[in-house]
Amino acid sequence: MFRYLSICTTGIKVFLLLMFICALPSFSQRQVEAGLKEQVHETILPNGLKVIILENHKTPVATLQVWYRVGSRNETWGKTGTSHMLEHMMFKGTKKTSGETFTRLIEEAGGNNNAFTSADFTAYFENMNSKEILAAIDLEADRMQNLLLRQDGFETERMVVMEERRLRTEDDPRAYLHEQLLAAAFLIQPYHWPVIGWMGDLKRLTFDDLTAHYRTYYNPANAFVILAGNVKKEEALSRIRRAFGVIPGGPRPDQKKALEEPQAGERRTIVRREAQLPFMLIGYHVPNLPSPDSYALEVVAALLARGKSSRLYERLVRKGLVLMIDAENDFLSRDPSLFLVSAQPGPGRDAVDIERVIDGEIRRLQEEPVTHQDLEKAKNQLEAAFILGQDSLFYQAMVLAQHEIVSDWRRVDMYVPSIRSVTQDDIMRVTKQYLISDNRTVAVLIPAPPNEAKQEAGRGLSGKGLPNQVIP
Amino acid sequence: MMPTYFRIALTTVIFCFSLLLPQNTSGFPKTPVERIILSNGLVLLISEEHSLPSVTLQLLVEAGSRADPPGLEGLANLTSEGLLLGTATLTAPQINESIDFIGASLSTSTGKDVATVRLRVLKKDLDKGFRLFFEALTRPSFPEDEIKKEIQRTIGLIKSEEDDPSLVAEKAFEKALFIGNPYGHSVRSTLESLTRATRDEVFRFHKSHYLPNKAILAITGDITPAEVRTRIVPKLGSWRKGATFPMPFREDYAKGPTIIRINRSLTQANIIIGSEGTSRSNPDFYALTVMNYILGGGGFNSRLMREIRGKRGLAYSVSSIFGAHKYPGSFQIELQTKNASAWEAISLAICEMKKMQSDLVTEKEISGAKKYLIGNFPLRIDTQTKLANFLVHAEYYGLGLEYPQKYHSLLNAVTREDVIRTARKYLKPDSSTLVIVGNMNEGDNDQRVHSNCMNNENPVR
Repeated sequence: MFRYLSICTTGIKVFLLLMFICALPSFSQRQVEAGLKEQVHETILPNGLKVIILENHKTPVATLQVWYRVGSRNETWGKTGTSHMLEHMMFKGTKKTSGETFTRLIEEAGGNNNAFTSADFTAYFENMNSKEILAAIDLEADRMQNLLLRQDGFETERMVVMEERRLRTEDDPRAYLHEQLLAAAFLIQPYHWPVIGWMGDLKRLTFDDLTAHYRTYYNPANAFVILAGNVKKEEALSRIRRAFGVIPGGPRPDQKKALEEPQAGERRTIVRREAQLPFMLIGYHVPNLPSPDSYALEVVAALLARGKSSRLYERLVRKGLVLMIDAENDFLSRDPSLFLVSAQPGPGRDAVDIERVIDGEIRRLQEEPVTHQDLEKAKNQLEAAFILGQDSLFYQAMVLAQHEIVSDWRRVDMYVPSIRSVTQDDIMRVTKQYLISDNRTVAVLIPAPPNEAKQEAGRGLSGKGLPNQVIP
Repeated sequence: MMPTYFRIALTTVIFCFSLLLPQNTSGFPKTPVERIILSNGLVLLISEEHSLPSVTLQLLVEAGSRADPPGLEGLANLTSEGLLLGTATLTAPQINESIDFIGASLSTSTGKDVATVRLRVLKKDLDKGFRLFFEALTRPSFPEDEIKKEIQRTIGLIKSEEDDPSLVAEKAFEKALFIGNPYGHSVRSTLESLTRATRDEVFRFHKSHYLPNKAILAITGDITPAEVRTRIVPKLGSWRKGATFPMPFREDYAKGPTIIRINRSLTQANIIIGSEGTSRSNPDFYALTVMNYILGGGGFNSRLMREIRGKRGLAYSVSSIFGAHKYPGSFQIELQTKNASAWEAISLAICEMKKMQSDLVTEKEISGAKKYLIGNFPLRIDTQTKLANFLVHAEYYGLGLEYPQKYHSLLNAVTREDVIRTARKYLKPDSSTLVIVGNMNEGDNDQRVHSNCMNNENPVR
């Protein structure tokens, strides 16, 4: 399920770790059968901080995660990227503990720490040997309130974030296309702008913007703590109470955002830039979790593109038209988001033909009841993926947290039963309602030939005088 | 967006594994592993853990791209991909339908030394899943039309890799460093060699390399050794052993300095600085692990991160790695920075290599490195998949079942003197192979900076 989360992080290493985990997402057998609700303990401290503890003793490790309900959706026009920038600044230290000391303490305990920002949340985590995990609680509590924001540190970190943007977006044609798609698909919702922010906004962000953001959103009433792994609930909870309980509650920030008006016709956006192969994204507006249609759309995504026997894989990858096909239903976003189909056409293949095949398969879902075999298969796939996913503790905590962000962590337990209850009629109904051309935005990357700018010897990186080899 | 990140993640997993494996902690409880050698030579490693109703099987076979016949580079990859394209009794669509219906995943991957086949399946469907896994592994039919399609798909993937500057840099670096050496070509290889590949070649490659006496199978998760003996071992016995022959390895590495520039309209220069690395069996491996952690392997506090990112904001990501394979792999520093600061970042990286060679690291640095590397071990085997992957590689490199218990003493034995000795022996600041993929018309070409870096820097640490 949650494979295509659009996130930015402070450090690349753990980002990789994270993606890897997302690919192979585990609750114990007992937990799977009994449901998570029975295994999770929730407490709300007087200052409003929600604490979610999941004991899982299968390995001697634990993960501590602090989730703030703030992301790029809480930003404003001209100030995009503030949440992610602030995430980076959270590693710069407090009066008590410098940034360097923070990291050293975690690393000397054998831990990995990092953070990630999405449109809806900013999360900080420590994955550690469970003997050491409680020490991380004090460090996280300290930086929830006592961050030392300094102008010079900000200037340097801004350069780092601009490098991150170059790496992730500017020099990656597919990521760039995705950014353009979102900008076209969302006119009103803040999902219009990228999590990392527009380059121009990054340049203009001020120190005061960050300070204001920190003061508004970083308080116990706008955050929750998840601790999962080989921990004892009572011991952990008393440490959390001691560390976080002293922080004043503060006002709950206004989280209501304007929503998209119904789309009145297909939108198309073209990106023409240097690239080897075209790329294509088709985004349909869909409801998010509170709607039961979310689960039917999960099944639709599986029918279309999960596994090598899926309809689009058969028709496109196995036929040699595309190198890669995917369909993602972003149902865990805080505001309604997109059902996104992505395709990587093979060499010499035309995006138009590929679009026709995708449309044909969607039409088939609208018109022909899906076979019992296919429906059962898609449900088996989603259920198995959900269970196999629980192999990672980090991911286990992450799934709880994402449900908490959109509604309530308890909703995790509804995933498998809700998937199981999807019917043939549901599939026809939701595809007819949402997967229609008036409701979609299509973004196509058209490769432009390489820009044959003449290289001048001795200028720029082309250098001179050293043994070298220039490959144009 | 994700596809690219996924690819990075996968590449990292394949190539960096040997660096990732050797971590453990003294206090870490022994993970019980049962090791069985079957009469056909297959080594079986079983570790049970019943909290989740699923089982993971990972098979490693010494059939990586280093075994590609000259002129047919890419054959090893084509063979491992081909395993899932049809068998004596099943067509590719039938395999796909059966795997998907039980929600399992059956996948293959190819690295430099080894190929792996992995099955993840719910316990209730273990027998079905295992049948498909074993049939694909031992009785693939490599249908002509499927192989042709797979070649076309691989050619397309090679082309799409050209849109990823870090992969472009990686390929150029390997080609330049490993001259005429079996590690020099990428796993997917090149368009030319692929067009020469035929179904018969694939069939032959499978026949001579996919042998139980060249393979290791780890089984982790919700299954007891007794169940493995009754449900799985009898079937494995039908896999016939075969003759193995030594694969000669030509150890030839470029002696720098060499600069390779690849001009692309990019906003960042993608940079790799590196040289010959080491093999996993080298006794210096542990000292190198500590040294590399301090230099650039270790998160936010490595020297490279502090100098290039923390103090100057020149890069989002900068890291160093010793890719230790069966034979010496490479040492690499990898970073991306805007074209204009390419040479400044390169100079700083080279300076940091030199400092590793001129001054002892501090007590604080070495003890911090050891604490992290030892303490982090449990996180490296905390899932079924990570554990299975660890077990097959530990077996492949002959580390022994006691390795996790020995690991902390191997690391604790490393001294500051070992660190400087290995830095002097393995880092080549003045004779590296340097690859820059970026916009050659931007940026500054003052390449002299690094010659005198020791003078204009304050002595650090």
